[in-house]
Amino acid sequence: MEPVRIEPQKALDEALKMQKKLAAGMKTLRELDDVSYGATDKEEIYREDKMVVYRFKGARPPTAKVPILIVYALVNRPYMVDLQSDRSLVGNLLAQGEDVYLIDWGYPDRADRWLTLDDYINGYIARSVDAVARHTDVDKINLLGICQGGAFSLCFTAMHPDKVKNLITMVTPVDFHTPENMLSHWMRGVDTDLFVDTLGNVPADLMNWCYLTLKPVRLNQQKYIGLVDILDDKVELENFLRMEKWIFDSPDQVGEAFRQFIKDFYQGNKLVKGGLKIGSREVDLRKIKMPVLNIFAEQDHLVPPSASRVLVDHVGTKDYTQLAFKGGHIGIYVSGRAQREVPPAIHNWLAKRAD
Amino acid sequence: MTEWPKNEWMDQWQALSRQYWNAFQDLTREAGTAAGNDPAAMPWHEGFEQWARMFGGGGKQGETIERVLASAKSFTAFAQSMIAAATAGGHGAMPNWTDALRNGFNMPGGSASMFANPVAQALREISGQGAKGFEQMMESFKPYLDPMREAKTWLGVPAFGFLREHQEHYQKMAVALIDYQEQTSRYNALIMKSSQRGFELFESKLAAREEPGRQIDSLRALYDLWVDAAEEAYAEIALSPEFREIYGALVNAQMRVRSQFQQEVERISTDFGMPTRSELDSIGQRLHDLRREVRNGAAGDSSALAREVESLRREVAELKAAMANGAPTQRVAASASAAASKPIQHKRPRPPVAKKRTPPVAALRANIKESVSTESIKETPRAKKVAAPRVRAITRTIVRAQRPASPPRAKKSVAKVAHRPSRVGHPVASFAERIATFARTARRKHPDAHAARGKHAAARAAHLRVAGAAAVRRSTKNGGR
Repeated sequence: MEPVRIEPQKALDEALKMQKKLAAGMKTLRELDDVSYGATDKEEIYREDKMVVYRFKGARPPTAKVPILIVYALVNRPYMVDLQSDRSLVGNLLAQGEDVYLIDWGYPDRADRWLTLDDYINGYIARSVDAVARHTDVDKINLLGICQGGAFSLCFTAMHPDKVKNLITMVTPVDFHTPENMLSHWMRGVDTDLFVDTLGNVPADLMNWCYLTLKPVRLNQQKYIGLVDILDDKVELENFLRMEKWIFDSPDQVGEAFRQFIKDFYQGNKLVKGGLKIGSREVDLRKIKMPVLNIFAEQDHLVPPSASRVLVDHVGTKDYTQLAFKGGHIGIYVSGRAQREVPPAIHNWLAKRAD
Repeated sequence: MTEWPKNEWMDQWQALSRQYWNAFQDLTREAGTAAGNDPAAMPWHEGFEQWARMFGGGGKQGETIERVLASAKSFTAFAQSMIAAATAGGHGAMPNWTDALRNGFNMPGGSASMFANPVAQALREISGQGAKGFEQMMESFKPYLDPMREAKTWLGVPAFGFLREHQEHYQKMAVALIDYQEQTSRYNALIMKSSQRGFELFESKLAAREEPGRQIDSLRALYDLWVDAAEEAYAEIALSPEFREIYGALVNAQMRVRSQFQQEVERISTDFGMPTRSELDSIGQRLHDLRREVRNGAAGDSSALAREVESLRREVAELKAAMANGAPTQRVAASASAAASKPIQHKRPRPPVAKKRTPPVAALRANIKESVSTESIKETPRAKKVAAPRVRAITRTIVRAQRPASPPRAKKSVAKVAHRPSRVGHPVASFAERIATFARTARRKHPDAHAARGKHAAARAAHLRVAGAAAVRRSTKNGGR
């Protein structure tokens, strides 16, 4: 039997339908203003250089005694966790009674080119943790690290275990040398010193280009053909554009921190192999003895599940929980399933470890 | 599937094309612009050029519009080739979908590479300005690269004379440009391989759809299947060791070209007295190092200054605790260690007025042994004039402790006394003498405790000797003030 049964007239209708959708949608698309993001009200509690720590304000006061500080990655903007009212990890955590804080790294420029991982982890993160602890009058806080921010949180917790009560990592790479990790595979052939010495800070466009080339046809063509289907739905179109804005709203990467991250994590895989030093301190994941919740996405093409799930073999805690989410690297924050599953899972896990 | 006699398929195809274009013209008229009278045989995706002219480049969503149009153009090209294949497959013959996909777009106005190398096309369509700018720059160099390649053997010839540095730089730049072009060719060849593999996978995926109930009945489903095949093939290649090597070589080659151009810009900037990137980076690095040093010092993390401040805080806390509580030596030591972790108290704790201020001499002696070495005074007679703040602070405390018990004098703080030495004679010299006396007494009465202080006290003494000597030098230099 023939694999394709396309009626020519039906195919033509399909092509024309697409044209009609485009004709109707283009005008709407052109007239749409820039989309807004960030659904939850927040207040600034600490600022240093370009970094700001925010506290999110829920509809009611938090019931949790210990606050959560979200440490986001440097490679994208953190508003992904609070994209819009019906797609907000933050909003849902607040609704569960959690007290949520977030580090916004800002947009580094050439003046920040010499910041190292030591400055970020033992500097900015350490002082942010102190600020949150002061603000809530506790000795230890809960840390929630996302993606690269998860790797930073692991390092921080290993070096300052006395400041972290519970550690949560989301889509966090731990083993950077798993076979399906395309990004890591590519980076291992790159001369990082030449790269950073030449570029200084790594331009955001270059980073985005690199991410898009992981799946060039799907991310650069198929996605936009799918967009034609929703061009006549203003709400859906705005949702798409909000996501699109987030994807391409990327900060440049600070040169020295990038150099160290690529060499020690992507190329050296030192987080699991050992020998990782941040500043003058050695990072030993076995020193993480507090409870750990590790959440990863099963269809993650940026941080493959295999890169995350090995965390259990390297941390020193006896209280380790793992949650495999059915979705991708972004879907884990914005999909409908994520709203239903992830925040309650975090809240329930924390609630059992509140004392 | 509807079948047509073989000799009629072309008519059918032309009719469909005409129908498409008529509908497209209607749409564009509705949108406010009349389309030209294009022949029915025109490539369908050509119409998107009109959309692009009408809608592209404006509004906040200009880039999204461009991306949508580019993708829709690719899809329509795909659709046209598939419909042509379906029409041609009349009289029951099974169309060759892969050939249609591969070759169907070699028509006027169509991008021959679009389907011959779809992955490369997709990669080119990624419109990061950073990548585009460099590509455009390389395009402008293209005419010069072929002659350069021919002269490649000459590029390694050593340079001589006054302009040898410049010549060497240009030779390096030429080598870098040629290398980049070579690595780009290797990369493109690999991407082409990925596209070819994509067609193979497309065929095998199509074959899997021959089972009843799994047939594809829409252009969109067929397109999605092709995308799956293309991505799968690309992933196979992209995860190969060969790709890693070539990708790395390409990135490194591009960085060498950029670096050479940057050096050239710096050279020109220097000639014109302009600040350069290297200079700014150098300043930035120094500033950053300085900030780290200051911040680490303030955080009490690692610097010698921070350690010294911490040590001083501990001493002050010990003395304050001793003064406030009149505690014996052991208790003072214990409270001192506890106080070390607390921030310094700005307000001096005072004992209740009614309480008799008996000086806790024994406790102070023990502390003095830790803080002050009498040897420095012995060895440096001029240290009598030392006015180093640390010594002053400690000796003030000692003097106060030695005074006969008397009610505190109102409105005369110790700080005031320290600032007006004439009121109480010449305190600096007498303090030093008193230190020496105290230390001698302490050693006599508690020889074991003194020895037990060990290295710590010795190090502190050495430090004070240095500080004392420096203070004397300063004092002498400033005319004894």
